[in-house]
Amino acid sequence: MAFREINAKMVEATVTPGQRLFSQRGAMLAYRGEVSFTPNTAGGQGGVMSMIGRRVADEDTPLMTVEGSGTVLFGHGGHHIQVIQLSGDTLYVEADRLLAFEGTLQQGTMFLGSQGGVMGMVRGQVSGQGLFTTTLKGHGAVAVMAHGGVIEIPITPQRPVHVDPQAYVAHHGEVRNKLSTALGWRDMVGRGSGEAFQLELSGSGAVYVQASEEKL
Amino acid sequence: MFRLQSSKVLAVEMTGDAVKAKNGSMVAYDGEMAFKKLSGGGEGIRGMVTRRLTGEQMTLMEVKGRGTCWFADRASEINLVGIQGDKLYVESSNLLATDGGLRTGTEFTGLRGASQGNGLFTTTVEGHGQAAIMSDGPAVVLRVSPQYPLTVDPGAYVAHQGNLRQSFQSGVTFRTLLGRAAARPSRCGSRGRTGVRAAERAEHDRGRRVRWPSGRSTRRWSRRR
Repeated sequence: MAFREINAKMVEATVTPGQRLFSQRGAMLAYRGEVSFTPNTAGGQGGVMSMIGRRVADEDTPLMTVEGSGTVLFGHGGHHIQVIQLSGDTLYVEADRLLAFEGTLQQGTMFLGSQGGVMGMVRGQVSGQGLFTTTLKGHGAVAVMAHGGVIEIPITPQRPVHVDPQAYVAHHGEVRNKLSTALGWRDMVGRGSGEAFQLELSGSGAVYVQASEEKL
Repeated sequence: MFRLQSSKVLAVEMTGDAVKAKNGSMVAYDGEMAFKKLSGGGEGIRGMVTRRLTGEQMTLMEVKGRGTCWFADRASEINLVGIQGDKLYVESSNLLATDGGLRTGTEFTGLRGASQGNGLFTTTVEGHGQAAIMSDGPAVVLRVSPQYPLTVDPGAYVAHQGNLRQSFQSGVTFRTLLGRAAARPSRCGSRGRTGVRAAERAEHDRGRRVRWPSGRSTRRWSRRR
């Protein structure tokens, strides 16, 4: 495990030669040892094409490569940090929520419309995710930021989970998501319960939900 | 059944019963749930009129179904309070959820609320069940007994329960009015006192001040200094 939680808002990462990390630019708080930070113009892994992909998709949060040997403290904006361990599955997360992740993970960009077509695009707009989201795949750890604490809710095929799009942080596993609307006449006349749109996640995996409906 | 998933997330297990919760505070659920806005929040036409007049409007929704529902609001700390036939007094913006069987009403509080811009009225919750209240920073429970009256800063007050008598204690002096006092006048000029008749408890937040809820009604006069 490359990340160790110091407290709710700081993580300590261990870097060893040959094992690099990526982190959001400016998220380093302190470090020990011989560690170098190089701005990563490509905004992550992959070649020029994936860089263009991220630029187009507006998922190009400035990243830096962390290399060397030592320990680094990360934190950003006083947001709560959740460390998620991936073992072969894919994590879907918004790029600006990514604090740091291990170099062993494959970074990619996913078009939300590819999951659910037009409704996928609507869902991206409603949840503030935009039309694209970042995927991380493989074995390794990710540190994700959220406003307020994060709870993990398991998703099993028998029990789909509904999430408020504004409180949604990330999810992993074999999960299908769709936007479910409960729009009734009450919402039309402005007397709704405030829960008209929900993300319905079904399959098997887990969803991370923050204790707030504020964006980062 | 109310349970704290974390200090900031409330989990409610439901088996076909209902809970009342602050509008829009659901963050996730599994199972089958239905959300319905409660008209006016109070009981009947009278409750609605009272709420409209007092400005103590609670935008509540009724959540009904089977499964688990998670509630959270602006990363506030959540405190569970058991109510056994007594009355809980809480500012409507600090009330996150209550059991469906609890009755909510509005009551006159007097100067304490007004001094902090909370208005002259507060929300009461009575019956038998549980309620979840929110505070900015962790709240502590302070017991109040007839021998030891308790004084709290109105800005840090969250809620109280039991048979308490409140009186407003002001530290405003001539110097305060001139702006020469050591502390900020708004602060030292608003010492509330929670006097007591029977042994019960008052809850109050000792950490940071209770923050402004963003959707504050503009009808509350004292917000404008």
